[in-house]
Amino acid sequence: MAPTVPSAAKSASPSQPSGKSEVADLKQQLRQLAGSRAPDADDQRRDVFKRVISCMTAGIDVSAAFGEMVLCSATSDVVTKKMCYLYVGAHARAHPDLALLTINFLQRDCRDQDPTIRGLALRSLCSLRVPNLVEYLVTPLTTGLKDPSAYVRMIAAVGAAKLYHISATACIDADLPASLKALMLSDPDAQVVANCLHALQEIWTLEAANSEAAAREIETLYSKPVVFYLLNKIKEFSEWAQCLVLELASKFLPSDNNEIFDIMNLLEDRLQHANGAVVLSTIKVFLHLTMSMTDVHQQVYERIKAPLLTLVGAGSPEQSYSVLCHLHLLVMRAPMLFSSDYKSFYCQYSDPSYVKKLKLEMLTAIANESNTYEIVTELCEYAGNVDVPIARESIRAVGKIALQQYDVNAIVDRLLQFLEMDKDYVTAETLVLVKDLLRKYPQWSHDCIAVVGNISSKNIQEPKGKAALIWMLGEYSQDMHDAPYVLESLVENWDEEHSPEVRLHLLTAVMKCFFKRPPETQKALGATLAAGLSDTHQDVHDRALFYYRLLQYDPAVAERVVNPPKQAVSVFADTQSSEMKDRIFDEFNSLSVVYQKPSYMFTDKEHRGPFEYSEDLTNLAVGAEAQENVISAQRYQENDNDLLLSTSDKEDNGTRASNGSSTSTYNAPSDLIGLSSQTPAETSLISTGGPAYSSQSNFSLDDLLGLGVTEAPAPAPPPALTLNSKPVLDPGTFQRKWGQLALALTQECSLSPQGAASLMNPQSLIRHMQSNHIQCIASGGQPPNYKFFFYAQKDGATAFFLVECIVNTASAKAQLKIKADDGTAAEAFSTLFQSALSKFGLS
Amino acid sequence: MAGAVSALFLLDIKGRVLVWRDYRGDVSALQAERFFTKLLDKEGDAEVQSPVVYDDAGVTYMFIQHNNVFLLTAARQNCNAASILLFLHRVVDVFKHYFEELEEESLRDNFVVVYELLDEMMDFGYPQYTEAKILSEFIKTDAYRMEVSQRPPMAVTNAVSWRSEGIRYKKNEVFLDVVESVNILVNSNGQIVRSDVVGALKMRTYLSGMPECKLGLNDRVLLEAQGRATKGKAIDLDDIKFHQCVRLARFENDRTISFIPPDGSFDLMTYRLSTQVKPLIWVEAQIEKHSRSRIELMVKARSQFKERSTATNVEIEVPVPSDATNPNIRTSMGSAAYAPERDAMVWKVKSFPGGKEYMCRAEFSLPSITAEEGAPEKKAPIRVKFEIPYFTVSGIQVRYLKIIEKSGYQALPWVRYITMAGEYELRLI
Repeated sequence: MAPTVPSAAKSASPSQPSGKSEVADLKQQLRQLAGSRAPDADDQRRDVFKRVISCMTAGIDVSAAFGEMVLCSATSDVVTKKMCYLYVGAHARAHPDLALLTINFLQRDCRDQDPTIRGLALRSLCSLRVPNLVEYLVTPLTTGLKDPSAYVRMIAAVGAAKLYHISATACIDADLPASLKALMLSDPDAQVVANCLHALQEIWTLEAANSEAAAREIETLYSKPVVFYLLNKIKEFSEWAQCLVLELASKFLPSDNNEIFDIMNLLEDRLQHANGAVVLSTIKVFLHLTMSMTDVHQQVYERIKAPLLTLVGAGSPEQSYSVLCHLHLLVMRAPMLFSSDYKSFYCQYSDPSYVKKLKLEMLTAIANESNTYEIVTELCEYAGNVDVPIARESIRAVGKIALQQYDVNAIVDRLLQFLEMDKDYVTAETLVLVKDLLRKYPQWSHDCIAVVGNISSKNIQEPKGKAALIWMLGEYSQDMHDAPYVLESLVENWDEEHSPEVRLHLLTAVMKCFFKRPPETQKALGATLAAGLSDTHQDVHDRALFYYRLLQYDPAVAERVVNPPKQAVSVFADTQSSEMKDRIFDEFNSLSVVYQKPSYMFTDKEHRGPFEYSEDLTNLAVGAEAQENVISAQRYQENDNDLLLSTSDKEDNGTRASNGSSTSTYNAPSDLIGLSSQTPAETSLISTGGPAYSSQSNFSLDDLLGLGVTEAPAPAPPPALTLNSKPVLDPGTFQRKWGQLALALTQECSLSPQGAASLMNPQSLIRHMQSNHIQCIASGGQPPNYKFFFYAQKDGATAFFLVECIVNTASAKAQLKIKADDGTAAEAFSTLFQSALSKFGLS
Repeated sequence: MAGAVSALFLLDIKGRVLVWRDYRGDVSALQAERFFTKLLDKEGDAEVQSPVVYDDAGVTYMFIQHNNVFLLTAARQNCNAASILLFLHRVVDVFKHYFEELEEESLRDNFVVVYELLDEMMDFGYPQYTEAKILSEFIKTDAYRMEVSQRPPMAVTNAVSWRSEGIRYKKNEVFLDVVESVNILVNSNGQIVRSDVVGALKMRTYLSGMPECKLGLNDRVLLEAQGRATKGKAIDLDDIKFHQCVRLARFENDRTISFIPPDGSFDLMTYRLSTQVKPLIWVEAQIEKHSRSRIELMVKARSQFKERSTATNVEIEVPVPSDATNPNIRTSMGSAAYAPERDAMVWKVKSFPGGKEYMCRAEFSLPSITAEEGAPEKKAPIRVKFEIPYFTVSGIQVRYLKIIEKSGYQALPWVRYITMAGEYELRLI
């Protein structure tokens, strides 16, 4: 841009705004210019406007000049007009009464012969956000949508969404969504189509909360004709609009495999697009489409590997960051995938630390037998090399790899080498790790203790490291010669120890040491308890008192409390449930992946999209099922989640399909039901009947058909509650009930070992439960975790019991969640259910 | 729903708002400013430095930095993070096109155009057009203003969104630069830990009308498909990415690269080679510390490519302790100097032919007293920069570049090859 007119530029310098007098001066000038027909009036006007805008940008309140600005707005100069629109847009909300003044010229401009002006005026008009001006918006918008110029149509499409946010009723009453939809499916200009799609998604998603019709409209957006229409045009869209269309396509539920392959063939080339966002969106489509086809899903992973790795390495660090977040998610699901490309995740010196951190996480996640050695070697370089936070992270990464139990031997040596580096933060981090390692691999205690014993506790400042060292001193006091004396010296400095965590550990460690080496520790124990009792920290005081009384009561009991035989920890708790991970995967290519949280955890309710789950739903199906990296059963799992979630989803967002259609869109609904039913006749009844059959009529139908009930020698249930031997509940009703009913009972019970073993075939459990009059409606999962949904009906009553049962075959434990129409009988039913479950595998 | 952003801010280096555009009216400038200033204060904490930051109030901030300007978006919805971050980079490109360089001053001088651009690039929080060429149809800077145009913006009525009609040049020319960057990481034991090559075909087009271009490479897949005897070298390219102008379907079918180019400069294609590459310039350094009084460096650099090629502008950066003084440097070629601001010695060799080895010796004094237990040293690696013209690591060759326009003019294609160092790091012991 050429330099502005000197005089104006000087006085308008935003760095030194002169405030009030400036505004008064501007008002004065504007007033003079308003009626001026001088040949250079346009130029002057432009300069004054520029000064007004610059004042506005600098944060000076220029709203006082509103009237004068409007007076001067009659100009044919586009730039001046734009500045005027900008001014009006910024101040209209604060001065709704004055905004009325602008309507006139904006409306006039909406009919200008220059499409640029028409478009700009329309955009400004819609951006005023003044509710009482809504009536003036509808007409220009309706004409705008039919404008011959694509530029105007494109602005009008977004304008419709803006109008909806100002006044939903005005937008709906004017039937704008219908016009948008028509435009979306017919307009030759791609950007118009994209903006229509944006607007429709917004309007219908928000509208769906209170209208069934809108919920259905949302469904049509994700239907085959719309999705295919847009996908066929994909090459015409701008890169951003392509992301939008691909996002839409990822929600599409194909009816058969051919559709899936058609879409994938069509989109294959998008993986070569230079825009990383387009590539990620394409990947999302591929992954979501192939969810039901394990083999193809694996092939997709192979196919997307190269583009993803390129995106990590090339481009801006911000791009690497967002791609790495996604890789991290993928690697959780397919750890083998990148295990040979581990070198791509080595840190460069110049990488920003947020990228390094993610790379370290990747290296941890992909470490396996074949690459552990190289990865750990590389990580060790970072420990001494780069900046401190990254050094810490890399030590933790080494530890995590060690806990993944590949080639622990070499890693333990490395960790012990860290201890010799003699750097405060390295030692502290390493001690914490060695502690965790010892809890998992007690067999290494000998080697570790030898090294740990040489560390002087005085050199460790960080509470976590110190606590870890003290824990080891207590736990292995019999192997460490001077443990009692080290502890004693620590106790002497009790008052200088600021962290309560360390003091707590010290208490316990001295107790442990006392039981192992009483004569040497007795004195220290006395001092510790005394110090603990007079400690100001409540927890420390309480624990000291507890130990003191315990010792008074019976030292033998105390020993059992403090030094019980310990089992090695097999798996440390995973912080994230697999359910959560699935949610995040559903929201692939969004902020959820970056935050590693589903979107409901970080967005307000009104800003959520149609397919994002809400908070209350997570409680519904808390995840302990299926392990992350298994894909084969994914679809099943998804199905049963969806089955259960859809109703409450509808209540929440109102966007889900009605049951009938949602069932039919899934790939294997009949399979699902097939699992639950025992006879072919019943299968057909349920799958074709759907919600049409009431449970009663179905029951009588069964009788009519004369189906012999194949009674297994069922163990006599407690007489208090007998179950209907042939209850009928269709999946739709089940979903609704599950959504409506409150949780009556949660319980954990164990399976017989034989039962756990027979669960290799989940069908057998389903059959077993059926013999106990408990029917399965859906099941899924992968060893060792299975999830079942059961239902049963009280004999002679209509009340149903619904059960979610999560079984872990490794621990032979089952978690039950029972919901009942009749809450009072839930307890009795639970007993019945558990007794049936415990007998599984024994018969 | 693809999330929309609520507002876009341009902030100065201290986090103060220079210009902002409110798209949806659900965030305030003050809130963003306060949050961002707080964020900048906490610099150094790896956690908060990431380009995506969550604010307790349910707002996500995504930002990038360019020179002394931060570009920041605020969003209340679950946005597509990758796309928004990329969009911000695109905004930078557009500003650069308009103001030569994007920095605080250029924004302050041109805020009216900035507002106009922000309006056209995003509407209601959804990205719209981000091609500078297209935007210049809507937004004329003062330089263009005089030519009064009443015609509607071209691009929006045009199927080729990246190129507008009616472009005229007296001389029709195309410049094609094949640029390959070599990334290498050598660990402290002298092993090559990682190496790859990232290539780009950078084009500058000055062509009239709507030219149809076709590019032929010595791509192995293509040559074999055509059953042609591969004379010379055919190459395998991993993971190719094209500019949006390239007809991807066509490439998928028969590997021809055909396109209508945008006007001006753009990256036609990028690719990656993950094959092991021999380091083109190998650097060894011996560092001897003498009892906290002085430090001796001996650096050897060897070029490991054919003698007929020559590396130019070779720059080898060897880290030295931050408290080193009194440099005493001798080189067998080129010049070396102490660069205290980088805590390094920088050795520059203007021309470094293949198969040669040069040496550099240096000695620095160290203070005899040091702060006890100072901050742990950041051990930086040796970093190397160089360019080798007329040479590509991959052996990629442009076999032809055809330009056909219906007016039938003759266009001149100019092709250049260059290899340069990308992330070229050799770690010290």
